[in-house]
Amino acid sequence: MRNNKAYYFLLPAIVLLALFVIVPMLQIFYFSFLKYNLFEESKFVFFKNYKLLFADSNFRWTLFNSIIYILVTPVIMFVSLMLALLVRQQTRFTKFFRASLFLPVVTPIVIVGIIWRWIFTEENGLLNYLLSLFSVNQLHWLTNYPLNILSIMLVVIWRGMGYYMMLFLAGLAVIPREQEEASRLDGANKFQQIYYIILPMLKPTLILVFVTSATSAIKLFTEIYTIIPGAPMNNKTLVAYLYQQSFERFDFGMGSAVGVVIFLLTFAFSYTNIKLMEREA
Amino acid sequence: MRKVLKYGILVLFVTAAVFPFIWLLSTSLKGAEELFAFPPKLIPNKLVFENYSGAWNSVPFGTYLVNSVLIVIFSVTLNVLIASLAGFALARFKFKGREFFFLIVLASMMVPKEIIIIPLYIIVLKMSLADTLAGVVIPFAADGFSIFLMRQSFMSIPKEIEEAALVDGCSLPRLWWSIMAPMTKASMATLAIFSFIGAWGDFLWPLVVLKSPENYTLQVGLNYMLGTFINNYRYVAAGAVLTIIPVVLVFLFMQKYFEKGLFAGIGK
Repeated sequence: MRNNKAYYFLLPAIVLLALFVIVPMLQIFYFSFLKYNLFEESKFVFFKNYKLLFADSNFRWTLFNSIIYILVTPVIMFVSLMLALLVRQQTRFTKFFRASLFLPVVTPIVIVGIIWRWIFTEENGLLNYLLSLFSVNQLHWLTNYPLNILSIMLVVIWRGMGYYMMLFLAGLAVIPREQEEASRLDGANKFQQIYYIILPMLKPTLILVFVTSATSAIKLFTEIYTIIPGAPMNNKTLVAYLYQQSFERFDFGMGSAVGVVIFLLTFAFSYTNIKLMEREA
Repeated sequence: MRKVLKYGILVLFVTAAVFPFIWLLSTSLKGAEELFAFPPKLIPNKLVFENYSGAWNSVPFGTYLVNSVLIVIFSVTLNVLIASLAGFALARFKFKGREFFFLIVLASMMVPKEIIIIPLYIIVLKMSLADTLAGVVIPFAADGFSIFLMRQSFMSIPKEIEEAALVDGCSLPRLWWSIMAPMTKASMATLAIFSFIGAWGDFLWPLVVLKSPENYTLQVGLNYMLGTFINNYRYVAAGAVLTIIPVVLVFLFMQKYFEKGLFAGIGK
């Protein structure tokens, strides 16, 4: 219907989104050009924050680490697609399998961190004990770089597999089964069916999972903060660096510059996503 | 043979998914001497329930719980309400600027929450909401994904219902509240559950906003315990078990809404 009273219904949402999402987004671009902290008057410094950032080896390491974390994406895609294909058929156990695999997804990340930090503990930790049964020497899961990156990746995969499995199930649900059926009658084996029929039709979901998983890898923070809080900054990630600059040193200018870098990285992914989806349509 | 392989893989992954929780539960029930026992024991010799009272009493756990519950109630209510209002407007009306407003909603979904915490913190400081529960809730009361989901839901209602109601002299607020919103119940339920999980588990923003221990949420409180009781992991584990119970309950009873929500593409 045509009625200008619509504005009243829209008002709370638009005011809040403008004030707390759109304006802050524009502000971090602006702040990133300022010398801006809680202690002195802010001042325009052009690209100085960016120059300082790239001169700081800690920043370069966290940038590197955050990009490295994107490597979990192919693993997550493989594991969760495999799980989705395995629980696709409705059987007596499907519901139980799905629920169990989804449990880590709904668990607050702080608790995920608490659980895994304990498992990774080096002295008498569970993981090192299990490895000792296979006569593997104690590994420093939390303190040895880059092993601690691998530990965190393991946690990210553990927590993410159920979520992406569900996304794949949603994608699989809309694929018509006739073709699969026909190819089976023509003698195609399971792997040929997956490769030639399921995967091409699953492309939109594959892209969605890739983009979501890659962007959340770039934004990784809480796992780092709870599992390896004591590790040096060059073992951590961009958001951890942003947090340190902004809320431990209260250097909002530098923090915002880090934010801009993170935005550009995630934007590259979401933009590709939109472009690919447009081409599909 | 193929079946064996299939169930073998599934059992392996399900065990990997669930076992850490069992280990957490086991740790929360161990005595001090068994905590570092070698080899580690899954089932403690003696179940020590004192860890739970210990966790509850060594930090203001009850206060954390109340704060978390308050934040969740307000977050979920505001989130659903605001999304429903906006979704109704975007789906059922034609008006000047609708495309522009919808674009704002879409754009807001592309902004990572982690990077805008600096300006948000400054805004919250200026509004004197720093270190308050309202400061945690208000900045994220409107959410692009939620609005998008509610818009889809309102769009699926047939036009005839709206026309009939308006011919009968129904006012717009009543059309929304009494006629249309009840028809989007399933989407609202899905949205409420995801909003609950998100608000209950949220960490970075409450960590930034809340400074005094009496304002901590459970997640911030647990993180504090993790730093303080590093040698008493049993208390931390007990606190974590207590914090996880509500989510697990909601999840188990509402599994069908979860699947529905994920199929509609929300969450995360």
